Amino acid sequence: MPLSGLGGRRALVTGAASGIGHAVVERLRQEGVEVFSTDIHDAHGVIVADLTDSGDVERLAGKVGAIDFLINAAGGPVAPSKSDTLPPLSAGGISLEDLSEAEWAKVIAANLTTAFLVCREFAPKMKARRFGRIVNFASIAARRGSSRVGAHYAAAKGGIIGLTKTLALELGPHNVTVNAVAPGFVKTERIAQASWGHDSPQAEQAFISSLPLRRAGRPDDVAGVVAVLCSDAGGYVSGATLDVNGGWYFGP
Amino acid sequence: MNRVAIVTGAAKPDSIGFAVAKGLRREGCEVVVADLYEQGFPALHDCLCIKTDVADPGGVDRMVLKTIQTHHRIDILVNAVGGSWGITQRDLIASPPRGFRGLTNCTLDDWRTILGANLDSAFYCARAAAPHLKKQGGAIVNVASIAARKGIPPGAEGSSGPYAVAKGGIMAMTRQLALELGEFGVRVNCVAPGVIASGRFNRVSQISKQDHGPEGPLATIPLGRVGAVAECAALIVALCTDDASYMTGVTVDINGAAYAA
Repeated sequence: MPLSGLGGRRALVTGAASGIGHAVVERLRQEGVEVFSTDIHDAHGVIVADLTDSGDVERLAGKVGAIDFLINAAGGPVAPSKSDTLPPLSAGGISLEDLSEAEWAKVIAANLTTAFLVCREFAPKMKARRFGRIVNFASIAARRGSSRVGAHYAAAKGGIIGLTKTLALELGPHNVTVNAVAPGFVKTERIAQASWGHDSPQAEQAFISSLPLRRAGRPDDVAGVVAVLCSDAGGYVSGATLDVNGGWYFGP
Repeated sequence: MNRVAIVTGAAKPDSIGFAVAKGLRREGCEVVVADLYEQGFPALHDCLCIKTDVADPGGVDRMVLKTIQTHHRIDILVNAVGGSWGITQRDLIASPPRGFRGLTNCTLDDWRTILGANLDSAFYCARAAAPHLKKQGGAIVNVASIAARKGIPPGAEGSSGPYAVAKGGIMAMTRQLALELGEFGVRVNCVAPGVIASGRFNRVSQISKQDHGPEGPLATIPLGRVGAVAECAALIVALCTDDASYMTGVTVDINGAAYAA
């Protein structure tokens, strides 16, 4: 059965050129949603925009118009720039002493400021039409901390949870729900290429075997939850962060 | 072969469980309804209705045995039975009791009855269904409450202190079962509803101040309304499906942003 409440709606997905964002685009299109997609990296026909730049966000809104669903999937532990839109993921962990102010600021901007600017741009139209669903992307790094991705990324994703709760309070009276998903180890193409998170295939297998569901996540595992939050099943869910991690961490 | 689902607490036509049973039928499941409220069975003619006191482990075992004899498998278990009243054969259709039953002023009988219907019931059903769920994988969804997150304010009508404790236990049981059943492909999740416009809520509203739900004033719900039974049921059904394929051990709050955990 298709999810009810999706067909004929309009959505914007950020960070849509690859990974989970791209899977969300495909899933929503399967459900009959008209999807606009954007990314700083030009692939899959996205509208190219640097969402850390409020001018770019405003121009994006001019192209997209009013939307029902906003999926803020843009982000990652390594910040892209206009000149380097797909920087490689570092193989090892990032310690506090190795974290420069510049890198801290860039990762906060890429993961947290982007969501703020895009919400600020699109929420007024949702309020005016008295309907909207916003889904932000947190991370397991915000829930349990992380020995791998660096404090900047975990802090930015923790910020996403605070942003989500506060916007849920502010936009609720206008019939706009605001939620977050917090993915665990999701083996996107980029993460697979970087052999990311684990020093050897054996170490990765040992980690996966320690998860209650005994497997890594797939982008479409997360896309399904995003679709549910946009559907009628998500109508009364707001301010929540949904952990999608195969049982790695159970949340609060 | 069709998937087979057991839904407890699904016979009252204005309940969340009833809407879950109907939703799982639409998903193509064979549905077994376990409930004491026989008067509701005719409206569930497309389900196998088994009169069951889910607070009685023997009754639960007989219900699961009959499910297997009829449908030969179990893929989904939704533990929707619960509440602070209307949960035993004796008070099944009674009006909500007046006055607040907190932990410090409830009777021991209140405690045992409420824990039995809300917490023991889910334990008995999960234990009895687990061997069958493990054969091919599946999903369990439990129903907790916003009361487990924030407690029940003293004075609130229609709910109780033991209920808040039982629902906290449901959240812990969800995590424990997720760890024990994950390797068999059985996901175990939970929803924690705030104020949902079920028959129970409507009956409480008749005796309490109109602007108060069982958990406090309704005007403080940011989404500006109580939740619909249909949307709460749709979320529970979604957690039973592949849309939630990588979620386990999780409690999803559905409360109109009334309490962000």
